[in-house]
Amino acid sequence: MKKILFIILILLAVAFVGYKMYNKPHTDVQSSEVLKSFSAAELFSVFELGEAQSMAQYADKVIAVTGVVYLEDFSNDLEPQLVLKANGDNGYIRCGFKPIEMSKLNQVKEGQNINIKGLCKGINGSEELDLLADIDVVMSNCIIIN
Amino acid sequence: MKNNKIFFGRTGLFVAALATTLLFAFTNHGGGIYKTNTGNISFFSHTSVEDISAINHKVKTAFDATSGKIQFSVLIKDFEFEKALMQEHFNENYMESTKFASSTFSGIIENVGSIAFSKNGEYTATVKGQLKIKGVSKEVSTKSTFTVNNGVVNGKTLFVINPEDYGIEIPKVVSNKVSREIEITVDADYKHAH
Repeated sequence: MKKILFIILILLAVAFVGYKMYNKPHTDVQSSEVLKSFSAAELFSVFELGEAQSMAQYADKVIAVTGVVYLEDFSNDLEPQLVLKANGDNGYIRCGFKPIEMSKLNQVKEGQNINIKGLCKGINGSEELDLLADIDVVMSNCIIIN
Repeated sequence: MKNNKIFFGRTGLFVAALATTLLFAFTNHGGGIYKTNTGNISFFSHTSVEDISAINHKVKTAFDATSGKIQFSVLIKDFEFEKALMQEHFNENYMESTKFASSTFSGIIENVGSIAFSKNGEYTATVKGQLKIKGVSKEVSTKSTFTVNNGVVNGKTLFVINPEDYGIEIPKVVSNKVSREIEITVDADYKHAH
């Protein structure tokens, strides 16, 4: 009898752990520690000079970036975005926010300095795709630090 | 007086020619480059066992309304799944997205000439080109719908792909959970680039 109870208990524990793993939450940017802080120009240049190595080091990690807001791109309601200047006319940092951050984004002005924390996703755009013109280092689930 | 007439006549002709040139240069005939950096791309896999979907809102895409050239580029790690574990498996086991960070398309809107980008309306087009996923490029052909609404051109394109064609291996244990006909939809609001 005790043996059966013990087996049931083990099975329940396994099921619980399995359930927890299956439903594990997405990375919470707010409570996560920043792996590395960059200036916008630095972040762009590490990805431009070594995409493979930078992906291995920073992709899907929480990083922080400081720079000047070049553009408020709120053209997609599902993910409002801020674009920071990074490398002249063709290199930018594109930071995506959850729509819930919109009230804070509305206070941001183009040209101001900003410090943003988010998940690094990689570098988008290439010289082969000539129509796309500019290249962005992309961050998601961003929050404004100040 | 006669000279004056000739003078004004010539000037008039010159002004008219200049005005015509400027008119052609600045009137929006719907030509030129249309682009966006905030297009949506989603994919959907349906089997009787499980439906899997994910979405990304940062598609970089542009087309040339004169030549019909169309391109997009999207970061694989930026696809968001409802379940974090699924997102992790997608990136690590299926797409190896640290190595193959982006997916791209480069092609042609075949009947671009029949779309009046400066006139509101809905147009169907055939889009053909190279779709690159996980480092593998394949020629694809599909139908797109372009809807022009006051200068904004919404383009919707559906690609149906078999993951195995792009070297994406599906382990036997989950074989019945992943469709061999995955629907990828690109839905972008293009604006005329100045």
